[in-house]
Amino acid sequence: MAKLPTPQMLMASRPELPKESWLDTKPQFAPGSYCYSEKKETMELLHMPNPHDWDPSAEDWNLPENWEQILCDAFEERLEKHRSLKLFMDICVRCGACADKCHFFLGTNDPKNMPVLRAELLRSLYRRDHTMLGKLLGKKVGARSWDKQVVKELFYYAYQCTECRRCSLFCPYGIDTAEITAIVRELMHEVGLGTHWIMDPVKNCSFTGNHLGIKPHSFKEIVEMLADDCETVTGIRPKTPFNEKGHEILFITPSGDVFADPGIYTFMGYLLLFHELDLDYTFSTYASEGGNFGSFTTFNMAKKLNAKMYAEAERLGVKWILGGECGHMWRVVNQYMATYNGPSPANMVTPKSPITGTVFKNAAATKMVHITEFTADLIRHGKLNLDPSRNDHIITTFHDSCNPARAMGLLEEPRYILKHVCNHFVEMPENTIREQTFCCGAGSGLNTEEIMELRMRSGMPRGNALRYVQQKYGVNHMACVCAIDRATLPPLANYWAPGVNVSGLHELVANALVMKGEAKRTMDLRQEDLPNVDADEAEAEEGR
Amino acid sequence: MQTAKLLANLKDSLTEQWTQAVFASYPEKSLPFLKTQKDPFANPVASMIREAAAVLFDALAGQDMDVEKVKTALDRFVKIRAVQEFTPSQAVGVIYLLKPLLRKQLLPEMQKQLDAYLEVESRVDSLALLAFDMYMTDKERVAEIRVTEIRNQYAQLKRWAQHLNAQAPLGEFAGCGQS
Repeated sequence: MAKLPTPQMLMASRPELPKESWLDTKPQFAPGSYCYSEKKETMELLHMPNPHDWDPSAEDWNLPENWEQILCDAFEERLEKHRSLKLFMDICVRCGACADKCHFFLGTNDPKNMPVLRAELLRSLYRRDHTMLGKLLGKKVGARSWDKQVVKELFYYAYQCTECRRCSLFCPYGIDTAEITAIVRELMHEVGLGTHWIMDPVKNCSFTGNHLGIKPHSFKEIVEMLADDCETVTGIRPKTPFNEKGHEILFITPSGDVFADPGIYTFMGYLLLFHELDLDYTFSTYASEGGNFGSFTTFNMAKKLNAKMYAEAERLGVKWILGGECGHMWRVVNQYMATYNGPSPANMVTPKSPITGTVFKNAAATKMVHITEFTADLIRHGKLNLDPSRNDHIITTFHDSCNPARAMGLLEEPRYILKHVCNHFVEMPENTIREQTFCCGAGSGLNTEEIMELRMRSGMPRGNALRYVQQKYGVNHMACVCAIDRATLPPLANYWAPGVNVSGLHELVANALVMKGEAKRTMDLRQEDLPNVDADEAEAEEGR
Repeated sequence: MQTAKLLANLKDSLTEQWTQAVFASYPEKSLPFLKTQKDPFANPVASMIREAAAVLFDALAGQDMDVEKVKTALDRFVKIRAVQEFTPSQAVGVIYLLKPLLRKQLLPEMQKQLDAYLEVESRVDSLALLAFDMYMTDKERVAEIRVTEIRNQYAQLKRWAQHLNAQAPLGEFAGCGQS
């Protein structure tokens, strides 16, 4: 007679000792843990190799017939092309310094999310074909062969890495695990495997400029709608220059901030700041996406989308580019742009602030300045009239976005600005900020809703630190300098630290900015009442 | 009163054994890390489990525990279990792993006071039910977050479409679909 399982049997999620070795234990594609596959038509339109219909949860992924040859050749080609990859494959001594630094490992406790083991998935394949010992001794020295399950495993873990590079910070050799993930994703694309959430924006950025594929005239209308909102709040309608030639500056920021809440308020912050400075600038509809979705797929796609920035700077004849609050955009700009599409066009010069005269020598090569460098310099020179008491209802902390923090060392500028526009600022614990910052858990194209459960566990280390300062210091706000953060941190905060609001830095700047000729501010950019405004005063203002 | 005294003697051993039993629900290769790293930010999952262990024990001992206080202390633990790859029974059922521990260590001492012992076991049931409610709230929150995120991503597009609709002269749409 059949027996009911005992409670212990129901609760034990694994046998006492796993039967297989770790390399033979395969991932389960459970809903909530994998991204949806891209559409075949999208891949065809983008001329990606081997486009086909497939489903990550299906047994058969419909790989092309000669998939193994394709992958072996593609891997070899990349080992020759990128000296760094070969080095990363060879020099790891498996010391384990990176093992417990990954937010995916901390949140999932899946050993293959230790960066060393995630890289080992590829390194084991490398050993078989590219090392003498591996060729001779095979499995004994950790070498293994390709099979379809290995492909699935590589795909699964390449999309459980946000390329945040926290692990690299702790690696004594400086192995950049993000680049290993990038190569694995690139290999997957060789056999037609990609995710919808990344490829759809890649297609849209390729054909229309922004990640949602909104046509230029409509994009402009949406920005004008935001300028109208600025007028409602401040009484001043900022200008919205688009595709105009002959300006000094081209401003490029992630298009997410034009479409998504709460990013739009950061965008409104830019509009108001530039208007107040009477900045000589223009937007572009062609280069209207600062974020580079291509960098989540392949080297060539990243290069193609990145090319728009300099191409537009040249066409419009600007002297330099000012870039908005974005994460991976800045890694691409600082670490890859020169190789992809450099040097910058002849009409561009080393950026110089037209307001303060500061020359941004750090941007001499790229000709691109991060908006927080620009604004911090304005504040340093006393060029902005700020009233931080307007943000007095906020006790804020600051989330260092992975790429600006670790790929460009942008640590002080955002804090400098924040301290000038808010009176109450609290840091999260030391081992969760600055270079050691924890990722939002959904960067590098993982901020799609179908993996919300995965995001809540991978973002847990960040959520946990936020919750700590919320409970200890009453923090009710988290500022950040990345559009993906503005999309991913609100859900994360909602789950781990409900009651904490998330915003970009320039939303707070514009709230504190006292503009020339502005109406008395009674509400913030979100059109929520400012708490410190005298009710009679506000009514009198309305009746005027 | 005597139960409380007996339990107090077992506090360290019971909380530690339960903590180890919960650790054992994670992959074996991750165990050394979970067990050794003590920093609450460098090893948050272990910190959540230990926080839960302490409050579970106090509640179990029948000390005057406020339900809200228990819930607050269990919150992080239930939240992480709700989004990790566990079945619902694995996620919150681990609270029942206290029972075999109690039967092994406490029951022999309380053979003559079975009623009092059963009360302790019933408190395990209450705690598990409490955790199950919290688990469901967390799951529902994840579902709600998914919906909100989709809505927020396209918030401005929707507004813009409504804006266009409001601007379009009525006649432009009135003729649609009419022969």
